[in-house]
Amino acid sequence: MEPLKLKVSYAPFVRSKDSIESVMYNVAVALLPATLVSIYFFGWRALLVTGVSIVSSICFEWAIDKIRKKPTACLDGSALVTGQLLALNLPSGLPLWMVIMGAFVAIVIAKHLFGGLGFNIFNPALVARVFLLISFPAAMTEWYAPFSVDMQTAASPLGILKTDGLQALAGFNTLDAFYGIRPGSLGETSILALLPGAAWLLYKKYITWHIPFVFIGTTMLFTGIFYLIDPLGYASPLFHLLTGGLVLGAFFMATDMVTSPLSLRGQIIFGIGCGVLTAIIRLWGGYPEGVSFAILIMNALVPLLDRWDVSEIKAKKQPSIKAA
Amino acid sequence: MKTFKTGGIHPPEQKLTSGKAVEVMPHPQELAVPMSQHLGKPAKPVVKVGDEVKKGQLVGAADGFISANVHAPTSGKIKAVKQHPHPGGQYSMTVFITPDGKDEWLEGLNTPECDWKKLSKEEILKRITDAGVVGMGGAGFPSGVKLSPPRDKTIDTIILNGAECEPFLTADHRVMIEEPEAIVKGLEIITSLFQGQVSAYIGIESNKPDAAAALKKHADSKGIGIVVLETKYPQGAEKQLINAITGRTVNEGELPFDKGCLVHNIATAIAIYEAVCKNKPLIERVVTISGMEIHTAKNIRILVGTKFSEIAAFCGSMTEKTNQVITGGPMMGKAQFSLDVPVTKTTSGILFINNRGLEKSGEKTCIRCSRCISACPQNLQPWLLANTAQLRDFDTIELYGMANCTECGSCSYVCPSKRELVHWIKYAKTLASKRKQRQSA
Amino acid sequence: MYSESFIPAVASLGSLAFVLGIIILFVSKKFFVAEDPTVSMINALLPGVNCGACGYPSCSQFAEELVRTRNPSMTCPVGGGELAEKLGTALGITMAEPKPVTCVVLCQGHNGNARESAEYIGIRDCWAAAQAFAGTKQCRFACTGLGSCIAFCDFNAMRIENGLVVIDKELCTGCGACVPACPYGVLTMQEKKNERYLIACSSHDRGADTRKACDAGCTACQKCVRECPEQAIVIDNFLASIIQEKCTSCGKCLEVCPTKVNCILLERDMETVKSKKVP
Repeated sequence: MEPLKLKVSYAPFVRSKDSIESVMYNVAVALLPATLVSIYFFGWRALLVTGVSIVSSICFEWAIDKIRKKPTACLDGSALVTGQLLALNLPSGLPLWMVIMGAFVAIVIAKHLFGGLGFNIFNPALVARVFLLISFPAAMTEWYAPFSVDMQTAASPLGILKTDGLQALAGFNTLDAFYGIRPGSLGETSILALLPGAAWLLYKKYITWHIPFVFIGTTMLFTGIFYLIDPLGYASPLFHLLTGGLVLGAFFMATDMVTSPLSLRGQIIFGIGCGVLTAIIRLWGGYPEGVSFAILIMNALVPLLDRWDVSEIKAKKQPSIKAA
Repeated sequence: MKTFKTGGIHPPEQKLTSGKAVEVMPHPQELAVPMSQHLGKPAKPVVKVGDEVKKGQLVGAADGFISANVHAPTSGKIKAVKQHPHPGGQYSMTVFITPDGKDEWLEGLNTPECDWKKLSKEEILKRITDAGVVGMGGAGFPSGVKLSPPRDKTIDTIILNGAECEPFLTADHRVMIEEPEAIVKGLEIITSLFQGQVSAYIGIESNKPDAAAALKKHADSKGIGIVVLETKYPQGAEKQLINAITGRTVNEGELPFDKGCLVHNIATAIAIYEAVCKNKPLIERVVTISGMEIHTAKNIRILVGTKFSEIAAFCGSMTEKTNQVITGGPMMGKAQFSLDVPVTKTTSGILFINNRGLEKSGEKTCIRCSRCISACPQNLQPWLLANTAQLRDFDTIELYGMANCTECGSCSYVCPSKRELVHWIKYAKTLASKRKQRQSA
Repeated sequence: MYSESFIPAVASLGSLAFVLGIIILFVSKKFFVAEDPTVSMINALLPGVNCGACGYPSCSQFAEELVRTRNPSMTCPVGGGELAEKLGTALGITMAEPKPVTCVVLCQGHNGNARESAEYIGIRDCWAAAQAFAGTKQCRFACTGLGSCIAFCDFNAMRIENGLVVIDKELCTGCGACVPACPYGVLTMQEKKNERYLIACSSHDRGADTRKACDAGCTACQKCVRECPEQAIVIDNFLASIIQEKCTSCGKCLEVCPTKVNCILLERDMETVKSKKVP
């Protein structure tokens, strides 16, 4: 009998079924309701933006893997999620070349120039969004009202709040905002469509509750204090929760594994920081919306937060080693 | 339900053999008895080629303080004494015995049961040491040494480890059902060695209610506590078991006796009972033969020194799809490179599996999901340890608590990037101690 | 006009530059470290690869120590005799000439010669593999071919060919950094010779076991020991070795070596070492 060819590897010999692919595809599935609802609200143009964003992201990933002479990882799901998230952050009427440019910034500049998956400091989709927002402020804030047949542009609630003040928002309907019947970018409008995805990720333990709930809680608390002080000058915390990209950002972008802190303490500080910055930018900043800036600024602090934990571990050990 | 505080994972249990009674395997054609079946220095062979040995006769004498005796598993003739593959993955000096089929005990061994209460403490310890009893859970620490801790340490808790948290393995489970009396007696003997108020516990995972019930019958009257523990890996790791049962934490650099605890395996308790009451050296044990690629998964009672190839034949041979043969459990076991390796005192299971993950393996980059951190029962940062190990920065890695890692494998299990976290930590441990040796030399 | 706006800008930036320049000047004077010119001169002569073969972690530390102690027995194995001469002239002492050594591989078990034990899947590192099992070859003394040593060679002189490490004799400087990097002790340093006969095997297994595992293994058959006119071959623990000081390179041992692929190997080293400055 031919002797059996054995293979030797190191323990453990059983591994969990989770892989990078499964994590990424689960996030993609969790974003699916929001994508579908955006297509329902904004029509074929939303489908086009989403499609172009995803396809160009995957193509850029493939190309840069070839250039970097790495095994191609364009189908591992991370480019898909980046493309999907980017599309959800864009207005439905954005010219397609801008979408492609955004995908380029996300994959090539924000992800691979920092070293690829796992090494990027900033959330790629958000970098692309902010890049587009700063480069093309007009196109990026041309929102379309849902179901608008003649592609009529409208201002988002936060935009109205910033430019015209609280009085202009008299017709604001809380329930409509919850369903997503308001102008805004593809994915941020319908809170209802985002919730099942968020629940799925929490249930599958791909994200923990700490970052999103602390983030949203802090924003509501901060805006709530000012609302209580001056209800006529400031919008209610509920308004801040339901408008803008707070829910999308808190559940799907602040929780990005690569760009969020590792420890519980770090995650809570990260959430508080995101919340406070979002509220500050919304209340007093130049831009109506602050979620993306807040997350990106806190992303930059993540290495510091992680280092804090590491240096604490070291400091705990140092005396005992010196004594020995 | 009690459990340890931090970390832990839930791998699929796959206890295929928990309902199967222990079978006795007939004696093999040839026995290969390794001299290194324990932690510490290998025993010194005391027989020559051509010698006739009786069953239970000493073939390897303990060499040094941390070492253990090795005995002939059956009567026969010494065929060779040479280096031979060992299930630990390395080579070890091995005594080959051709059985004569008579299976004759050496005189004075395997006597009718005597009352251990009449023996002095020194006599009990001597019998345990002479019988070559070692920890049968996997590490193989000589029991005689473990039972004589430094004088300044007071032991107030004795724990028997019946958690058997590794997937597949059921050897301890079956033994608990079939020999509860011997286990309780073994535990009583251990407890009698320590002065003062000593509480005794047997920790059993909740997936073995029948074992807990069987032991309870005998243990209750003796004041031994049966503790049912949550089914969670690594519940049976020494430090985690102590934490789960007593709430105490064994810190880095400490041994269980620093916290007043001693942990012994279920099988070790039986070996101690047989050594003390029957004067029977440790020459056989119960092993789980399992895995998807073996024809009939079984629990078998087997002589130390039986080769894996003969065991596979006894269990109806393995399929062609087998690509890994593993000793111990799938979380902390060792993959074998040869089927010539023999069963040792510490072999708790032999698994024949088709590891499909191997083809797809290959480490990917860390995506910082922090699962390894929440899985680590020792509250470490496995990703950080592995990254530092990859940089070969052995000064810094010690500051990150490398020595505290028990190599339970939980981090590698959960890692979605399939990083070899435990292997990197083990790698750093080996090279750091090598470097220390070189520096002091 | 613009003139009003650019004057303050130029003036403020200019004065800032001036102040900073003064601070830099002050700091460089204040914290000036006097460096012995001899040390820097010696340092310039050294190969500058910081291989550690001399026993010091870096070339500059070697230079400092040499200038301080002027110990003629301190040698740089990489630079060899040529460098020793230069260092001697520079310091005005006669330096001991290091014997040029080179790295030799005491194993010929490449994939064609040696039988594989099991396929190893995991971290590509010899030490990591050694934790998993005894080695990728059936012979437990063999080179595993995973190449941990390569990372330790500063001179690009090592490569893995067909599952066995190969030394490029032209590039090897004999620094010895690779020797402790091998978990199996397959690498060793030997004095350079024009013709060197070498028992390229590390197996202490008995003859029959060695033969089963490898075609090129030393089976300790004693034939070369009997044949050697200089009694330069000894067998210790089932492995022959040639005492290089006694060996006259007559080649008689090679003629009688009975293994399928001779375990005795004839190597030709380069005559002199050139001290190479690695860029």
